[in-house]
Amino acid sequence: MNVNGQKVSFHSPAQRLLDYLRDSLELTGAKEGCGMGECGACTVLVDGEPVCSCLVLVGQISNADVVTVEGLAGADGLHPVQQAIVDCHASQCGFCTPGVVVSTTALLARRPQPDETEVREALVGNLCRCTGYQAIFRAITSLGE
Amino acid sequence: MVELLSPATLLDLRTLAGTGRIIAGGTDLIVQMRSGRNETHLIDITNIEDAPPAAIIRSGVAELSAMASITKVVDELNGRLPGIAAAAQVFASLQIRNRATIGGNLANASPAGDMIPPLVAAEAYAVVDGPSGQRRIPVDELITGPGRTVLEPNEWLSLVGVPLFEGEEGFIKLGGRTAMAISIVSLAWRWHRSDHGALTGVRIALGAVAPTVVRAHKAEAILEGQQPTADVVMAATDALQTEISPIGDVRASAGYRQAVAGGLLRQALATS
Repeated sequence: MNVNGQKVSFHSPAQRLLDYLRDSLELTGAKEGCGMGECGACTVLVDGEPVCSCLVLVGQISNADVVTVEGLAGADGLHPVQQAIVDCHASQCGFCTPGVVVSTTALLARRPQPDETEVREALVGNLCRCTGYQAIFRAITSLGE
Repeated sequence: MVELLSPATLLDLRTLAGTGRIIAGGTDLIVQMRSGRNETHLIDITNIEDAPPAAIIRSGVAELSAMASITKVVDELNGRLPGIAAAAQVFASLQIRNRATIGGNLANASPAGDMIPPLVAAEAYAVVDGPSGQRRIPVDELITGPGRTVLEPNEWLSLVGVPLFEGEEGFIKLGGRTAMAISIVSLAWRWHRSDHGALTGVRIALGAVAPTVVRAHKAEAILEGQQPTADVVMAATDALQTEISPIGDVRASAGYRQAVAGGLLRQALATS
């Protein structure tokens, strides 16, 4: 498995990817909200596709490329999605933000200029209890302009 | 500690089958295990190199992998089987669809499993694989009750065969919200509609209104050959309500499900 471009190994194939990332690799960007796949706070990319890392066992993806929110920023600063979230004040308590950022990154890779319906559909699996979503949608829409 | 084995070939899987619980996407099983379901050995079937392709068309039948993610299957279908695609569209969330499989949804055997009604309405069959070889079962005979199937512990679902269809087909559900909602009632259909509006080849399946997904045979018979006039639709929805046996639960009362099931049929007749 590669995580954020680095080859890693694991010892417990039945460990949840979320626990492996947070406890073994100390990548604490992905959060455990519900542990049931409802909230999306644990969203990471597995081979480019967003998944709930609380619902994947590491042994199931031993050859995969995993990207967490920590792997998005480049040497020259924040990823454009992260910057847009900052610029549009689209993060309040911040617990959902890593998942929102990761889901949005996957959306923009598929659809560089998504319309609002596509943005809403891409984020149905990411719950935010603070913002009411409007600032998040503004941030994402601003990227396509 | 739970052990997980990931066989790389069907041959390895046949050898291992029976030594543990089969896990595909795991989007239900992992949650159940966190809530106390005791499994000590898991056999992952998502890394099988010679597994069936996500979807192929073979003499009028779309063969969909039961072991591939729902996202991959629907992408590969590329607009074919709109009833299946409509169910996938409202199936949980993108994150879940990227892991969850049709085989897992069938094997989990929830009365509210959203991929099941379009398969039942299409009179699809499932291919069950195991150490003693493959067998083919109509999807509506696969599931025998909530959480119960005819699968042996050493068997898994390999693919589902869905007859292609030239007429109208679709899927609608009523849930607490559009995404991430367990269906209160769901309805899938297939029928041909002639130029003057008469319906033929009517197939209707409902989810979350009985211990398993059910066909509405009486309602189908009333609609067959008829134009869906107000009287015909009334007779069909009355019949449909006698064919279902919903329970009341945390999501809705039995009476509400009865009423809504008829409403979904009206909506299907009006919109497709």
